[in-house]
Amino acid sequence: MGMTAAEKILARTSGKSAVRAGDIVYPKPDFVMIHDGVVRGAKEELDALGIDRVFDPERVLMVTDHDVVYVNDRAAARGAFNREAAKAWGIKHFFDAGRGGHGHIFPTERGWVLPGTLYFDNDRHCTNAGGIGALAIRMGTEINRVLATGTNWTPVPKSVKLTIKGKMQPGVFARDLGFVIGKHLAPDGAFGVDIDYRVLEFAGELDQFSLAARISLCSTPTEMRAIGVFFPPSAEILDYAKQRARRPFTPVYPDADAVYDASVELDVSTLKPQVALPGGPHKAADLASVAGTPVSHTYIGSCGSGMYEDLEIAASILKGKKLAYGVRMIVVPGSEDSTRRMTREGLLDIFHDAGAMVIPAGCGPCASGRTGLIDAGETSISTAVANGTGRFGAKDAQLYLGSPATVAASAVTGRITDPREFLPA
Amino acid sequence: MSEFQWILKGRCYKLGHDVWHAGGVVPNWVITGRHFDPKDIIPHLFEETDPGFHTRCKPGDIIVTGKNFGMGPKMNGYIAMQALGLGLVCESMPFLAYRAAIGCGVRVMTDCVNVLDLCETGDELEVNFRDGFFINHTKDFRREYPPVPDALMEIVELGGNAGWLKDWQEKRRAGAV
Repeated sequence: MGMTAAEKILARTSGKSAVRAGDIVYPKPDFVMIHDGVVRGAKEELDALGIDRVFDPERVLMVTDHDVVYVNDRAAARGAFNREAAKAWGIKHFFDAGRGGHGHIFPTERGWVLPGTLYFDNDRHCTNAGGIGALAIRMGTEINRVLATGTNWTPVPKSVKLTIKGKMQPGVFARDLGFVIGKHLAPDGAFGVDIDYRVLEFAGELDQFSLAARISLCSTPTEMRAIGVFFPPSAEILDYAKQRARRPFTPVYPDADAVYDASVELDVSTLKPQVALPGGPHKAADLASVAGTPVSHTYIGSCGSGMYEDLEIAASILKGKKLAYGVRMIVVPGSEDSTRRMTREGLLDIFHDAGAMVIPAGCGPCASGRTGLIDAGETSISTAVANGTGRFGAKDAQLYLGSPATVAASAVTGRITDPREFLPA
Repeated sequence: MSEFQWILKGRCYKLGHDVWHAGGVVPNWVITGRHFDPKDIIPHLFEETDPGFHTRCKPGDIIVTGKNFGMGPKMNGYIAMQALGLGLVCESMPFLAYRAAIGCGVRVMTDCVNVLDLCETGDELEVNFRDGFFINHTKDFRREYPPVPDALMEIVELGGNAGWLKDWQEKRRAGAV
């Protein structure tokens, strides 16, 4: 009996020839990531127990993405604490504010996350690792145990196989598809599957999805409680990984006779641009059903749309245009490397000329209203990973989600707009 | 650790399906206010669905729930349940809710199919979380359900993740790990 991709990765890191869904294992991850918001909690809990070191300072990435530009005293104090914690633990790979960027984006660009990698993270959107063919598992506050001991109990997850059929039309993007997948994964959705603590393993016509698109597709299933998403890496993605790999890696592919909890298919050939209606990223609706809705707050970035390609798509629409009167746009690159590349390739000028604000790499407004807040009664369209009540501050604001192209097009017109109006036919 | 009480005997508190952690288990302000001290949380356990619960429950009592108990991966309510010595039996829990309950050292059995049909609030229950027995003394029957997995028993016995780490550190200092 064969193994799924997740089973293979967990078998390798657990020192076993095979594992099965449901087994409880103690894998040794390739590295561990901790984000700025939880360092203090983990450090204080470990200090209270007299645990003053981490299992391997070389294999811990401490990233600063949720609170990059300190906008209050609490954030500044947290940053100061984190710097001292990094020093005390001897963290070699400490990415302070302004260094690195979004922890779920830049480590892939810099060759930390590679095909076949396993890493543990406190934050659930580590599932982005699946875009390149890796597995990352959220440990929440139990990241303290991982930091101390190097591992933690991990039930091997079941996998759900999603076979993509057909080719997406021009002007339809990965986020559009992601919202629809989320809708079908919902408890009453068309797939009729339970995705809780499952890995969504993609199959089928995947060559149409670039690395950035694959990473985008990791976002919404995570919001639906998937513990992981997995794309078998293409030759192109293997080349990308080889060019920046920090260590040798072996890509992983599922066995033909792997056992899945469920197998579903989705024809993407007739998909039209979507939005996620206020309330959740799974509330997919044809964009046409809300076209013309006035917006004033727009934002491009987040785990779901933070790759350079996402910025390029938005810039292609904004080039030579201005944001509509009364519309503001916050652009958050996923990495400092992307910001530098934007400077080199002219994207920074395009965004600035349009009237957008480009802020330092990180989570931006998606980190629950730390930057770029919205006022009561306003309407937003953004590429955030989620749009629950109060995500950007005011509880009675209306938060729509769309692809980077849809957000850019909507910012130009001041109303929710089909991006195909701005794209070459 | 051999004296750890894996068998709880007490009164049944029956809840329904789809109980959110925020609001259903503890008020949302307990979560957003980052209250993790059991003495701060206990007065508010099930406050919005069963006011005064904490004054009536006793160690060994069992909370029996339907599907999707504890949605939202929060730990505050489990800290109170563990401190009060309560057990938890669910038809299902989202995995991260289960992880949080185990991480707080709660004696918990999930995937207990149709358990809501087997009891009413006030019934005298006996639950063996180590071996997976559910006995309703009031209605005089017994069912078998998946127990706490062997791999997780030590964490629960040590009071959860913090207790496990404390024990690990003590063993490390003694040169045992």
